[in-house]
Amino acid sequence: MSVILSLTLNGRSRTDWVADNLLLIDYLRDVAGLKGTKCGCDGGECGACTVLIDGEPQHACLTLAARCEGRQVETIEGLGQPGRLSPLQQAFRDKLGVQCGFCTPGMIMAAEALLRRNSQPDEAEIRAALSGNLCRCTGYVKIVEAVQEASTQGAPEPPSLGGPVHAVGHRVPLIDTEEKVTGQAAFTADLPAHALVGRMLRSPYPHAEILEVDVSAARALPGVVAVITGEDCAQTFGVLPITMNEPPMARERIRYRGEPVAAVAAVDASTAEQALQLIRLTVRELPAYFTPDTACGPEAVALHEKYPDNVLRAVHDEFGDVAAGFAQAALVREERYECAEVVHGQMEPHATLAEYDANRERLTIWSVSQVPYYLHMMLARCLGLDESRIRIIKPFIGGGFGARVEVLNFEIVTALLARAAGGTVRMNLTREETFLTHRGRPQTDVRLKLGMSAEGRLTAAECEVVQRGGAYAGYGVVTILYAGALLHGLYDIPAVKYDGYRVYTNTPPCGAMRGHGSVDVRHAFECLLDTMAGELGLDPFAVRRANLLVAPVQTMNGIIVNSYGLSQCLDRVQEASGWRAKKGRLPAGRGLGMACSHYVSGSGKPIHRTGEPHAVVELRLDFDGGITLLTGAADIGQGSSTVLAQIAAEVLGVDLGRIRVIAADSALTPKDNGSYSSRVTFMVGNAAIEAARGLREILVRAAASRLDADPAQIECLGERLTVTGREDVALTFREAVAAALADGGSITTKGTFTVPLEYQGGRHRGGAVGSTMAMSYSAQVTEVDVDVDTGLVRVRKVWVAHDCGRALNPLAVEGQVQGAVWMGMGQALGEETRYDQGLPLHASLLAYRVPTAVESPPIEVHIVECLDPNGPFGAKEASEGSLAGFLPALTNAVADAIGLRLTELPITPDRILEAFTRRQRELRQRELQGTARGAAS
Amino acid sequence: MRLPGFQLVRPANLAEVFAARRTYPGARLLAGGTDLVVNLRHGLGEPAVLIDLTAVPDLRDVALEPSSLRIGAAVTLERLTSDSLIAVHAPALADAARKIAGSAHRTVATLGGNLCLDTRCLYYNQSAWWRQSNGFCLKYRGDRCHVAPEGNRCRAAYSGDTAPVLLALGATAELADATGSRWVDLQSLFQEDGAAHLRLGDGQVLLGVRVPRSSGLVVGYEKARLRGAIDFPLAGVAVALRRENDRLADLRIAVTGTNSQPVLLKECEPLVGRPLDAALLQQVDKLVQRQVKPMRTTLTPAHGRRRMAAALAVRLARRLWGE
Repeated sequence: MSVILSLTLNGRSRTDWVADNLLLIDYLRDVAGLKGTKCGCDGGECGACTVLIDGEPQHACLTLAARCEGRQVETIEGLGQPGRLSPLQQAFRDKLGVQCGFCTPGMIMAAEALLRRNSQPDEAEIRAALSGNLCRCTGYVKIVEAVQEASTQGAPEPPSLGGPVHAVGHRVPLIDTEEKVTGQAAFTADLPAHALVGRMLRSPYPHAEILEVDVSAARALPGVVAVITGEDCAQTFGVLPITMNEPPMARERIRYRGEPVAAVAAVDASTAEQALQLIRLTVRELPAYFTPDTACGPEAVALHEKYPDNVLRAVHDEFGDVAAGFAQAALVREERYECAEVVHGQMEPHATLAEYDANRERLTIWSVSQVPYYLHMMLARCLGLDESRIRIIKPFIGGGFGARVEVLNFEIVTALLARAAGGTVRMNLTREETFLTHRGRPQTDVRLKLGMSAEGRLTAAECEVVQRGGAYAGYGVVTILYAGALLHGLYDIPAVKYDGYRVYTNTPPCGAMRGHGSVDVRHAFECLLDTMAGELGLDPFAVRRANLLVAPVQTMNGIIVNSYGLSQCLDRVQEASGWRAKKGRLPAGRGLGMACSHYVSGSGKPIHRTGEPHAVVELRLDFDGGITLLTGAADIGQGSSTVLAQIAAEVLGVDLGRIRVIAADSALTPKDNGSYSSRVTFMVGNAAIEAARGLREILVRAAASRLDADPAQIECLGERLTVTGREDVALTFREAVAAALADGGSITTKGTFTVPLEYQGGRHRGGAVGSTMAMSYSAQVTEVDVDVDTGLVRVRKVWVAHDCGRALNPLAVEGQVQGAVWMGMGQALGEETRYDQGLPLHASLLAYRVPTAVESPPIEVHIVECLDPNGPFGAKEASEGSLAGFLPALTNAVADAIGLRLTELPITPDRILEAFTRRQRELRQRELQGTARGAAS
Repeated sequence: MRLPGFQLVRPANLAEVFAARRTYPGARLLAGGTDLVVNLRHGLGEPAVLIDLTAVPDLRDVALEPSSLRIGAAVTLERLTSDSLIAVHAPALADAARKIAGSAHRTVATLGGNLCLDTRCLYYNQSAWWRQSNGFCLKYRGDRCHVAPEGNRCRAAYSGDTAPVLLALGATAELADATGSRWVDLQSLFQEDGAAHLRLGDGQVLLGVRVPRSSGLVVGYEKARLRGAIDFPLAGVAVALRRENDRLADLRIAVTGTNSQPVLLKECEPLVGRPLDAALLQQVDKLVQRQVKPMRTTLTPAHGRRRMAAALAVRLARRLWGE
């Protein structure tokens, strides 16, 4: 049934025929063409589609369009446009209430509704009003600040065009924020295209041999253009060249529930879904394994022939004399820790758009990738296409956090469908499918043994790690190596032994997630440090200080540390949190905990050893005086394009507004390995410096010749090229450009960066993992309340100090650090994947509990600038290193609050209550034993 | 996930609602849609017709009557949190409403919809692919309860947050069909069966509730959930009590999130007449733990939810005693 719908949309009345079952979100996006309203979940869970109906915030994904008859509907597009932002949009821009921008339109609309109702809300009111809108980047800190800013300032400051004389070291809003706060930023699902709709059939079985996939009925359905199965692609894909064992669609064998088995391209979604129902899958079921124990059992069937024991990789490393270290120790303790599997939960569901031009055999792909170059390679491999026939374009990306640092099955399937259909296919995954695609942080069991002197000096560490890796290799080898490698580099430990096991199971494949490999082991380490400090009567800060490295130093596993700001980080958070005054003096149920962490600034050795530079940046300058920076680095909301622009502007001494960044379009931009391991600022930043120096040299030479000066005397600053000591002799930047172009027209320069061999890791097997040119360091303190009745833990505040070397953009650094700490909080307090016989029980944003604004704490960031000699302007990593520290800081704070140390993450209320019960049982037993002993004597 | 095809009927008054009920026997009633639309998008039901109640004016009133406060079924949760009559006569109801979902849900979700909320379960609130992969379940399209396979009924949990407060206040509900309306005890609207927890006859519509005035009860609502918003209750507890000097003159406890219906606890009477001391609170704890029956319907284990329910009841009783 259809009805005529008349409504007012952003102040304009319009009338359309709409079906009774048309949702407002589809009306807005597909009928009215307003793509600013985003779809982030499968119904009412995330708030990304919040619009105003008669001034009230509502979910467009739960509203029937037909019910909007006669009503006023306002979307993000109605608030303001780039160049004339509404006060709220302006505040989100200025305060960095935006990172990836995917939740932003809904968030701004929810905030707009609040401010219209209450122009002076307090922080609690702001958090409550935004509590139905999930954000995965910011930890809500800067969002709340943005709303406060908009509510306190009637007229916001005009947007700062250009900027200060120096582009580096200033609080610069991200250069692509205007698009994000106005709903103009086109994410993959927003791209216009006359496309067929792609859908995938997913396996209901966890482990099975495929006997037949009968697609004849599906193929015969009118409106179906292509149907493909695993038989249509004999190639596998993956990350490491030695472990590329994942098929885009299951072939012969199914290894997890939810694995794609077949795919359909049809004229519309309902036809595609109907076609899926017509596909007949016949299998012979195999025993399935959902835990490492069962997968490694004596009779277990191997998931992959090449790995008969279902162990993808066992790692055994020993550095120093561990036995001697324990023998010397005054205290040796061993403990087991279990960390649940978690997942990135980026707000943008997965999506790919693929266009295949059959006549010219060309494939163009727009996808949500953090690694467009890897996608390029894997598409060539799986489709058997020459790489020259493929073009990868990265649109705006709604967060990644590692979910998209490897090529994902749906990306290849969409390309295969496009080729089979001979046209364009759009594949938008549901939130459930996005969870099924997974690549999260694996469930990790850690057994850790530490030796310590009476003064708190570590004498030895021994660590065993078992990771439940899921059905395919993915980054598995790297993850299990990272877990051991990053035992090093934070503290000075004389002897370290590590045994790691990455196990295949019939669950969705795990992958890399923010703090890759290091997080769960760091939790164990920092918890055990605290336990032992307590036994020795030492302060947690003192124990860390007793084990500091002295830079420059090379760790036993070959990591060179040139800059090391951990000591300053410790000082800053101890001071800021009031640790000395508070510790031990808090009321019952309240606790204080601290911990440290670190992370690499880019993996030293690239995965694909092509001999090419590790990073390349090109700069173009032409008659207009605009500088175009071309980079393959994928900005996924973290702000990498902004930092590269800042770097180029700094070197050239020009306004930031003069730099335009074109990122990640393989037809235009130089190859980049991708946005992972916090490598972009460090590596691509260094390449940008070199490219900009090259351009500056050309401009300087031209200016020198025009000014009749020695090039060595020319300075570039504030859009002027001046002769040192002769202030009056200068060219404007435009004059210098004109002079330089006169020599030969438009100018292109290139900068490259390659990590020197000595920074590419130790010589032992697997030594490349953990290698880096610089480590970031972090220390944090958290204060918590534990509700002893319900077991609920609330974080009151976090103080974090992060050594990121030179903070190129302190505003962005704060945002990254807050996001990392907050993501750690999610993992520590409630996030957890669960499976029932391999079926995910967590595959929605209702069941997978990404924290809301209400229970998210203030996170106070202290930037420590311990400059690294190799970093761009001394900069290092800023977005991952502070995640790992939160987990143990929280566990330690809970232990401080209730006297119980939990070894299982997340610390959910039921686990706290269970711990109380256990303690009571133990106390009773002890009493009974005491009584029995008393009676016996 | 897309909606199935259906016809949307928008009656303008109650007579048209009843007529639509008669004309379209399998139709579902639609108010805010924050529960129903989500479920339909997940393939939980394929009604040919939805009857939209939001255009019916009678259902949107909050009115003070001589001995009660009457609240229409289509009054939104947002209105419950801000209405001045409710703030005076049933502040705990406002508090319960404030603890539901997020602000964009509350602007459209209604009291009637919250009371008639579908029961929830790990094995039910999933996509069609998921449920099919799991052989469906007793509540919908299947014949087996995955929560308690040995049993023969659905264990899905009732999760409405407004019901406990209303039960504790002794509210009545007005049910109507074309032949007329009648007031019933709110509790009689429910039964302990996750697949059929509402005792709303075919053709019947919940028009609203009536909350008795000046009962002298002080009432509070506490909700256990992992996050500070969005989440359904792991356990939600309303306590209503009347204190006369140092004695309890009345005590009522109602719980949601633990059973297939909201539970008004039995056996509170023996506690009346006594002071609210540690011994009594311990009995309250036991009373709750004995009578609520959480099952494995959420990711949070059942025993934890039972303990939380009891702890919240004790906490509320202690707090209200002091008020």
